Amino acid sequence: MTVTRRSAIGLLAATGAAAIAMPNVARGATGNVVVIGGGFGGATAAKYLRLRSPELSVTLIEPAEVFYTCPFSNLYLGGLWEFEAIGQRYDVLASEFGVEVVRDRADDVDVVARTVRLAGGASLAYDALVMSPGIDIRWDGLEGYGESAAGTAPHAWKAGPQTELLRAQLEAMPDGGTFVMVAPDNPFRCPPGPYERASLVANYFKTHKPASKVLILDAKDAFSKQARFTEGWAALYGDMISWVSRSNDGRVIRVDADALEVETEFGQRIRADVLNVIPPQRAGLIAERAGLTNNSGWVPINPATFEAAAAPGVFVVGDATISAPMPKSGFAANAQGKVVAANIVALLEGREPPRPSWLNTCYSLVGPNYGISVVGAYRLVDGAITEVVGSGGVSPVSGGPEFRAREAANTFGWYHAITNDIWGTVW
Amino acid sequence: MLARPSGAQEAVPWWRDVESARTLVGDATPSTEGVWIDLPYLSEDGTSVALGVGVDRPMTQESYVQSLHVYALKNPAPEVADYFFSPLSGRAEIATRIRINETMPIGVIARISTGEVIVAEREILIVTIGCLTNAATYATTDVMRTRVRVPEQFTPGVPGEVTTLINHPMETGLRTTLAGETIPRNIVTRFLASVGFATVFEARFYSSVAVNPYLRFFIVPPQSGELVLRWEEDTGLAAIERRPILVG
Ligand SMILES: Cc1cc2nc3c(=O)[nH]c(=O)nc-3n(C[C@H](O)[C@H](O)[C@H](O)COP(=O)(O)OP(=O)(O)OC[C@H]3O[C@@H](n4cnc5c(N)ncnc54)[C@H](O)[C@@H]3O)c2cc1C
Repeated sequence: MTVTRRSAIGLLAATGAAAIAMPNVARGATGNVVVIGGGFGGATAAKYLRLRSPELSVTLIEPAEVFYTCPFSNLYLGGLWEFEAIGQRYDVLASEFGVEVVRDRADDVDVVARTVRLAGGASLAYDALVMSPGIDIRWDGLEGYGESAAGTAPHAWKAGPQTELLRAQLEAMPDGGTFVMVAPDNPFRCPPGPYERASLVANYFKTHKPASKVLILDAKDAFSKQARFTEGWAALYGDMISWVSRSNDGRVIRVDADALEVETEFGQRIRADVLNVIPPQRAGLIAERAGLTNNSGWVPINPATFEAAAAPGVFVVGDATISAPMPKSGFAANAQGKVVAANIVALLEGREPPRPSWLNTCYSLVGPNYGISVVGAYRLVDGAITEVVGSGGVSPVSGGPEFRAREAANTFGWYHAITNDIWGTVW
Repeated sequence: MLARPSGAQEAVPWWRDVESARTLVGDATPSTEGVWIDLPYLSEDGTSVALGVGVDRPMTQESYVQSLHVYALKNPAPEVADYFFSPLSGRAEIATRIRINETMPIGVIARISTGEVIVAEREILIVTIGCLTNAATYATTDVMRTRVRVPEQFTPGVPGEVTTLINHPMETGLRTTLAGETIPRNIVTRFLASVGFATVFEARFYSSVAVNPYLRFFIVPPQSGELVLRWEEDTGLAAIERRPILVG
């Protein structure tokens, strides 16, 4: 109750008109909600705010005309999907759901005055702000890997031109070459993502460049769904994929992008034919600009409401947040976007926010017909997000080919369902 | 000075509750300034958390940091490691990887050669995230295999960094097999670095040092020579590495 009161007062005080807002209770929530970022978390929140309360005015700020999803970008890299197949547009959100989509970048947020300044110069006032800016790269986090290095050794950890560049390099690579991937330490966006990428690149090599190799140099000693991936790699790709753990000198400490060479902690120099560096990350820069991050570079939130700890009334979801044990996944961002939409509507109506619970299913493809998954359900326990005991399920090791094919089919089904839920007509 | 609400009890400092720490502090009245602890705000995997500890003090014969002692205050045994420096360390600073069972404070004691004692502590959040279901996948092969990196050349008077790692399971003695049998304790207990006949740096490890003990420290060798590194296991087994040192 105390949280509700404080947040509600925070929200209404922003309009400077708590007294005016009260009579609206019967008619449902009104007010201006601004959403920064039209990715998994932000576009979900925008749509579900309008669905729950058609009288809310919702403005979604997103610089891209087409949002390319990171999920399934590995299928594009592996030559299984066209790039346009992972492009999502905002037309439906605008025409069917009445979200006002502003194609611009938020440059600054004043959490006291409750305004957002856009790169184009406009300033928008809000009653509640949702932010889902995703990640930005720590350009000073790995020696030699500045912004210009990404032009030669792409990270492709935000889908777009970087992903296309990496695909072009893989296509141009002669048979017998080595694709070297530099994998980061935790925390980072999509814990199984690097290993799914290695799998689907190997799948491409297997059919098109069978003498080629995939080498993963890792800053970790263990990784997501490791036993399942390792089993799948052996079954599908023999010894094409090698993984070098941190303790076996897998941690890269320096990148020479021009020479396509990396240096490990204990001094090995390794040359790549195609070099994919997944560098350390942090919350999207606008979160720091708004003063919402702590010294970890990520945004601490109140788990009950997903309001930023530093600024009640500013709701942050997705990869930018510290919401462990929930992972930095599109699935989690989508679930959080819905919870936040419900919270904001409840708070604007003067009701207590609903008790949140979340689900995450983490699907990965080891091959086009070989899927693996981890499921987790999360609840609020004593003010902390907690994994529901016994909810977690990892698909069994040695699930058998039919089981793996079914998991792969579920993975495709998941992609269609979630992108429709966020950018499409379905809800 | 932090203002305390009137009537509030002075909290008992953590080191009073840990016997070995209490012994270290002895009769000294510890200060709380000058030791830094570099830890992530939150770790998604408590089996191997990066830790850096240091004291920004001069390292001269007259006054140097003698030792640093690390405690994970809610682990089954709180002692993590002890690090012993000399003026030839050049810098009282280490980096390692440790096991942290749950959200807890990490405590550090620094002893200065002048008799001064400094204590510090820092909280770390441990939350294992979904998608990471791998604690059991840490595998150690080539046990006692070592890796070392030293600067190609040292500048006289400037401390250079030495990076080391030894493959080792660091069995705590607290684990059991599926059949219910206790897996016996087997850890690396001691690490020594010497140049010529002088020990420049030494460390003692306990069971909260993470698998495959990793250690970074500094040395400031007075002249060219040989760096000898020695790891000792609790079974008496030792691994030795020798590296030429070039000063110039
Ligand atoms: C290779 C790869 C594979 C993945 N596979 C999966 C998967 O299979 N399943 C899964 O669940 N997750 C997957 N993920 C993770 C998923 O992509 C992210 O967790 C998800 O995108 C997070 O959503 P978000 O809203 O936080 O950020 P995003 O989806 O990145 O959205 C952020 C948006 O904010 C916009 N933005 C940023 N700053 C501003 C600003 N200042 N003003 C306006 N707009 C701004 C950006 O343009 C962007 O559109 C994968 C990730 C990668 C890299």
